[in-house]
Amino acid sequence: MRSIIYYVREFLRPEWLKTFFFARTAPLETPSYFKGYPARTEKECTRCLSCMMICPAPGAIAVLRKKDQWGPEIYPGHCIRCGLCVEACPEGVLSSGRILDVTRRDGTAFWSWYHLQVDDSLCMRCGNCCVSCPVNREIDPQLGATGTSSSDEVIMRIEGGRVTILHEEKCTGCKTCEINCPNRAIRVARMVEGVQGEEAEA
Amino acid sequence: MRNILQKIKNAVRSRSIHVSYVDVGSCNGCDIEVLACLAPRYDIEQYGIYVHNNPREADVLLVIGSVTPQWVDKLRDIWEKIPEPKVAVAIGNCPISGCVYNRRGTLTTPPVENYIPIAASVPGCPPRPTEILSAILSVAPLIFKDYEENQK
Ligand code: SF4
Ligand code: SF4
Ligand code: SF4
Ligand code: SF4
Repeated sequence: MRSIIYYVREFLRPEWLKTFFFARTAPLETPSYFKGYPARTEKECTRCLSCMMICPAPGAIAVLRKKDQWGPEIYPGHCIRCGLCVEACPEGVLSSGRILDVTRRDGTAFWSWYHLQVDDSLCMRCGNCCVSCPVNREIDPQLGATGTSSSDEVIMRIEGGRVTILHEEKCTGCKTCEINCPNRAIRVARMVEGVQGEEAEA
Repeated sequence: MRNILQKIKNAVRSRSIHVSYVDVGSCNGCDIEVLACLAPRYDIEQYGIYVHNNPREADVLLVIGSVTPQWVDKLRDIWEKIPEPKVAVAIGNCPISGCVYNRRGTLTTPPVENYIPIAASVPGCPPRPTEILSAILSVAPLIFKDYEENQK
């Protein structure tokens, strides 16, 4: 009996009745630090395409020209709001959530380079890659027709009957070598690595 | 009198939306966000939305995923089974664009618009529960308002 009275009294408390009938969970608000679709800032786009190259989603971002001004365009429905383009842009053209604040605070950045790799089992040592490379030709105009070179500054040369990569860091990623290789033996890959601190400032 | 009745009907309908959802081939990320809507944090039922998986009782169909070939006819079947008035909402990037599955050599055939009429889409990979909720809440009453009158 006592417990019944207890329950009745408990459930007749105005406070209880109020919460029972008018309870509402928190309003549907998106906190400001959530990553939304990247938005343009005031900064000027230099059309380096870093944003497009790092984007993991097909068709999510395109750098387009409007009148005389280049700028990135984000497509909802394709973009997955990962925020990589925001981080990768060296100019800070895009912003989303608190990504820019956090990268500035932590001093993080993306560092990218082109990696060259020759599959020796496919390569027939023709030297097309070394000869066609525009950077190679610039550095050593005397480049041999078979890809040999006396210069140590070239990106790659035929040395001892095989392609030797000397200066990967000079590669511009044009992929001319890939196109001119008859055997698809040489591959150019863009590599990206996250760096922090002094490395990021360089 | 008729007017008042109609108003009551509209009000009741907008507070009693039955939802069923179907995943036609995705990573399940959006399913999880739909399920998050059911959990206490977002609590879909406080808005008068009830989720169950029977298309014959549903008003709103949430379509998730980038449509694999096996789903094409089944998705149409499900859509046929839903009684009028009905509305389909595409959840996530997959039904809109195919998202990360929209690559060469994948067995998907987005967009879902090609198979059933889509009234609204919620982009995102995955979309937030808040976005899903507000999409259902804004599109459903629009379609159901004065439905019978508009048919005449
Ligand atoms: S947020 Fe991610 S998916 Fe969206 S455009 Fe940027 S890099 Fe691409
Ligand atoms: S938005 Fe940034 S990363 Fe993209 S092209 Fe412009 S400057 Fe480069
Ligand atoms: S990608 Fe272009 S710059 Fe780099 S090695 Fe090949 S041809 Fe030379
Ligand atoms: S072009 Fe191709 S096959 Fe010829 S040397 Fe270069 S990597 Fe080898």
